[in-house]
Amino acid sequence: MLEVTGLTAGYGPVQVLQGIDFRVGDGEIVVILGANGAGKTTTMRAICGTMARSGHVSFAGQELTRLSPDAIVRLGLAQVPQGRGTFTDLSVHDNLLVGAYTRRGPEVDSDVERWFEVFPRLRERREQKAGSLSGGEQQMLAIARALMSRPKLLLCDEPSLGLAPIITQDLFQRIGELRTEFGMSVLLVEQNANLALKLADRGYVLDTGTIVASGTAAELQSDEAIQAAYLGV
Amino acid sequence: MIASSFEKFIQFTVDGLAAGSVYALLALALVVVFRGSGQLNFAQGEMGMFCAFIASTLYLSGVPMWLAVIIVMMVGFVMGVGIERFVIRPLEHKNPGGVLVAAIGLFLLINSLAVAIWGVDPRGLPSVFPSAPDDFFRLFGAAVRWEEVGVFLAMLGLLGLLWLLFTKTKVGLGMRAVANNQDSSRLVGIRVGWILAIGWGVAGAIGALGACLLAPQAGLSQTLMLGPFIFASAAAILGGLDSPLGAVVGGLAIGLIQNYIIGYVNWLGGGMVLSVVFLIILIVLLVRPTGLFGSTRVERV
Repeated sequence: MLEVTGLTAGYGPVQVLQGIDFRVGDGEIVVILGANGAGKTTTMRAICGTMARSGHVSFAGQELTRLSPDAIVRLGLAQVPQGRGTFTDLSVHDNLLVGAYTRRGPEVDSDVERWFEVFPRLRERREQKAGSLSGGEQQMLAIARALMSRPKLLLCDEPSLGLAPIITQDLFQRIGELRTEFGMSVLLVEQNANLALKLADRGYVLDTGTIVASGTAAELQSDEAIQAAYLGV
Repeated sequence: MIASSFEKFIQFTVDGLAAGSVYALLALALVVVFRGSGQLNFAQGEMGMFCAFIASTLYLSGVPMWLAVIIVMMVGFVMGVGIERFVIRPLEHKNPGGVLVAAIGLFLLINSLAVAIWGVDPRGLPSVFPSAPDDFFRLFGAAVRWEEVGVFLAMLGLLGLLWLLFTKTKVGLGMRAVANNQDSSRLVGIRVGWILAIGWGVAGAIGALGACLLAPQAGLSQTLMLGPFIFASAAAILGGLDSPLGAVVGGLAIGLIQNYIIGYVNWLGGGMVLSVVFLIILIVLLVRPTGLFGSTRVERV
């Protein structure tokens, strides 16, 4: 599904990603773990084309590094950005509609209804400005908004940020259910290693722009050296 | 015959609403650009003036006035899109402050271009509305010219169209999304650059309409939009800069205040009127820093 090789990216003279390789298979949930400043968000932005990058990102047979962000979305890749990216001045309903910006047709409305079924809190607040939602509600909205484009691959940048552990657990469980129900793949970046590894099939550990470890979720969870060195457990 | 004071009041009100409608139109144009890109387009008035001259040329070569107005609204649209793509955007990436300088430069360029093409002598521009000396009706004794009614209705109609554009169309949804959060707009697949250019285009079309409605009363010359542009930016700021409704209320309020001052406090010279209007705006902004209808962002984290 997604094949990343030798990806580098940075801000001006500062190179953040030193050439990383990883892949996400069909229907897989993959997590990239790492501390603050490891390059997790940069990785996400480099894939989605919202910053300059080089190397190769192949998605469904297409090379993404030459495409603009809107073309990448059209290919079926949606991102829930860090900080949720809520359209705070727009209503909850409009936030969902804008998520389907690349689509047209009557199915958009039935998709809105579907996500209101999945997240009833959003239906209750349908006409409210999205900026007035709580952090957890905004995270649900961000995921529903991303799913409105009917992606084949969902990218989530630190969905647990600023959420109470119990809400994060609930959120991760939802992401797991969505994968099973819609057969999409998920790439997650997280600091919260314990929770993320329970959800994910496989994982990579990113440290100062380099991948230093990888394996199945079970392997990463049981490797005490990795846990101690990078995951702060 | 000495007009009764009520009659006078109605007359000042009608004239104020008519003048205010033109300010409101121009303020709408400024707001549409500001919502998208956070820029105050200093060349907005001159773009409109230039379009009004094109309308005059079209009319003189036999095109009916209403058609000429529609054509120059399209010209204004193309002009706005072109200026955004080729002047504003290349600069914005390099130096946001440069955009302000570029807009002032455009102001001067368009103005002198109009002098070069059409000369400095003012000319008339026929109105699209009935505007013969006897085209008026009496309302409580005050004379209401059909042209004034037409300008007012045209402004309301345009506000309605903008409302439809923003709330009922996909482009409008994109414009609201971009106004709110550009990064997220990119991530949902909106071509942000095009949305901003369309915003400039819509503003260009509105500005062209405003100038074509103003010129028949004010006379068409290169200085046509100088005063109205100042009043319109004041109207936009008074209304909150990002609210179309605010722009209209602001524009009408300024037109009314201006006409009441001229009518009732006529020992104040014309220049002083401007100062009084700005004093009132200053007081409003001290009480409500976001303007009358400006959005106060609701944000929980």
